[in-house]
Amino acid sequence: MELEPIFHKKAEYIETASGNKVSRQSVLCGSQNIVLNGKTIVMSDCVVRGDLANVRIGRHCVIGKNTVVRPPFKKYNKGFAFFPLHIGDYVMIEEDCVINAAQIGSYVHIGKNCVIGRRCVLKDCCAIADNTILPPETVVPPFTLFSGSPGVFTDELPECTQDLMIDVTRSFYSNFKPLSS
Amino acid sequence: MATYVDFDRVQYMADLGVKAPLCRLHFCRHCMKLRSTDCVSHEIDSHYCPHCFENMSPAEAKLKKNKCASCFECPSCFHTLSTRATGAPNPGDDPSRPAGRKVYYMGCGFCRWTTKVAGIPNQTVGSGAWSEKENTNSERINTLMEYFQQLAAIEKQEKDKKKFIRRKSFIPFSEKFGLSSTRKRASINPGLSSLSLKENPKVMDIEPAEASEQIEELSDEFIKNPLKLNEMTTLKQRLATPHFQPNFFSELYPRHKNLLTQRSLRCKECEHNVIKPEFNPCSIKYRIQLVAIYHVPEIRLFSQPNLEIGKETQVILTLLNPFDYAVTVTVHELKEAVFNAELSLPECDLSLPARDETAEFDDCAANQDFQDDPSVVTFRKSNKLGFFIKVTPKPSAAGAKVVIPFQIRYNYRNMTASSALTDPTAYETVSLQQSVFVDLGDLNSTAA
Repeated sequence: MELEPIFHKKAEYIETASGNKVSRQSVLCGSQNIVLNGKTIVMSDCVVRGDLANVRIGRHCVIGKNTVVRPPFKKYNKGFAFFPLHIGDYVMIEEDCVINAAQIGSYVHIGKNCVIGRRCVLKDCCAIADNTILPPETVVPPFTLFSGSPGVFTDELPECTQDLMIDVTRSFYSNFKPLSS
Repeated sequence: MATYVDFDRVQYMADLGVKAPLCRLHFCRHCMKLRSTDCVSHEIDSHYCPHCFENMSPAEAKLKKNKCASCFECPSCFHTLSTRATGAPNPGDDPSRPAGRKVYYMGCGFCRWTTKVAGIPNQTVGSGAWSEKENTNSERINTLMEYFQQLAAIEKQEKDKKKFIRRKSFIPFSEKFGLSSTRKRASINPGLSSLSLKENPKVMDIEPAEASEQIEELSDEFIKNPLKLNEMTTLKQRLATPHFQPNFFSELYPRHKNLLTQRSLRCKECEHNVIKPEFNPCSIKYRIQLVAIYHVPEIRLFSQPNLEIGKETQVILTLLNPFDYAVTVTVHELKEAVFNAELSLPECDLSLPARDETAEFDDCAANQDFQDDPSVVTFRKSNKLGFFIKVTPKPSAAGAKVVIPFQIRYNYRNMTASSALTDPTAYETVSLQQSVFVDLGDLNSTAA
C-alpha cells in the first residue's frame, strides 16, 4: 500500500536549505556536532546527543518520534571515551528507539521500540524488527533481519532491499507535508 | 512501516502457480518469465561468519562444520560472546600486590554468562586457545561415518559399472569401423579400471549398536530434592548442542557461531544466473541482479478501500514503470481464476513515461501530454499513475478477504547478448503478460 500523507503544522518544523525537517519539539544537544546531509526528518520529542561526540546522519533519513540517538562510549582502565556515530543514507528509524550504535549503514530499517546497544555495527541493507533489543557490540550483516531479545538472525531480506528503502524513505519525505492552513 | 508491512497485499504469479510479492521474485531475461525463490536452483558461493565476516569456500566450511573458528555464541541467550581481559592474581603471593600478567575470559554482554560459569579456565592469549569439549560419542560417530562412506562408494561403483556395461555393447561396432584402439585407450581410463569385476570391494566390520538390558535406576535425588528451575536449561538451549544436551545451566559450553551463506541463483529451465553476488560479504552490490521489480511494471494498492457486499466501490491502484523507456500497460480479466468480487477494469491503455532519476530534483512538473480519461486515471507523477477499478464484492466474500485477480500486458524490450555486442541500442520487443492478485482486505465490518 502506498504511504498516506502525514501532516504537520508548518510552525512545528524547521526546514533547512538542504531540505532537512527538524521538529521544534526535538532536543539537539551540541548542534554544532550534528550533521544532517539533507532531506532528513527529525520528528518531535527526539533527542540527538551531539554534545557527547559527532553525529552524522546521511540523506533521506527518518528519525521517528521519541527516539534517542546517542553516540556510544567505551570504558578504559582510566575513564571512558565517546565515539562518533555515523548513519548512512535512506535509513528509516521508527518511534521510541534508543540508538547507541557505532555505525549504521545505508538502506537500514529499524522498527518501533528497538534498543540498539553500545557500539553495534549495522551494515548496509539490513533490518531490525519491532521491539528488538540488540546487545552491545552486535554486528548485523547485509540482507538480514534481526529480531527478538537479544536480537538474533531470523530472516533474509530480498536482493532489492536497496530500492525498496529508497522508495520508502523518499515517499515518506514527499508525504510529510505541512498543513496548508 | 506501510510498505514493509503490506508487501504481501499485491502478489504476482510466478511459474508453478507460486504467488509472491514482486520484490521476492526474479525475472529470467532468457526465458522471459518470473521465477520464485522456490523455482530457481540455489548455489552456495561462499560461507561467511556473520560476526567477523571471515569468508571461506564451501569445502573449507564443511571441514569446519559450517562454524566460525574464532567467534563464539553464548549458550544461554545466543548472543555473540566477547573476550574480556582481567588481571591474574599472583599465586601464593601477597594478595595486596598488583596483579601480574593479563588473562582472558569470554562473557556475554546480554545475559552476563561467562566462561567462568562453565568452569573453563582463563586463557593467557586473547583468542584461539579455547579448548573444545570432548564429545564422548565422537569415536563411534566417526566409525559409522567411515562405514557409510564405504557403502556409498560401493553403491556409486555399482552404478558406474552399469553404465560401463551398457557402453561395452557398442565396442564391436567401433571395432568394425576401426576405432578399437581409441576405444581401448578410453577403457584403460584409471577412473574406470577400479571397476573391474575381479576386485571384490571390502567393507569394514562395524559393531552393531545394542540396546542395554540394564536401565539405570531413577536416583532418589529426583524425588527428594526440590526442582530448581533456574539451574535447569531450556529446551532451546539443550537442542542448540544436540550432541551434549546439557540438563543443567552449569554444563553449558560456548558454541562456535554458525556461518551464513552467499548464494547465487540460477534459472532451472535455461540455467542462466538470475542472482550472482559479489565475493565480499559486506558488499550490497551484485554482479548479476535480475530482480522482478526492475523488469515488471509494479502494481500497488493506493489506499484501503471501504468494501461492502453487493456495493460497487472504486478502488485506486497505482502503476509504476521501472523501465527507462515509455511503456503502455493494458489490464485484462484473468479468465480461469476464482474470486469473490465482480470487477470492472479500465478498457483504455495506461501509458507511462520512462523512469527518470532526476525527476525528484525537477521543481516544475514535467509537461506530460497524456490524454487521460479522468474516470480512469486519477493522478500522474513522473513514472507513476493511479487508476480506478470498480469492485463489487460477492456474497461469498463474507468473512474472507477480498482478493481480485487480473492480468497486465505490456511490451518489454529485451537486450540480448548477441544484439548488444553489435549495436548497444539494439533490442527486441516482446509482449509479456503477468497475473496479479491484489488483496483488498476485509469487508467493512460496520456495514456487514
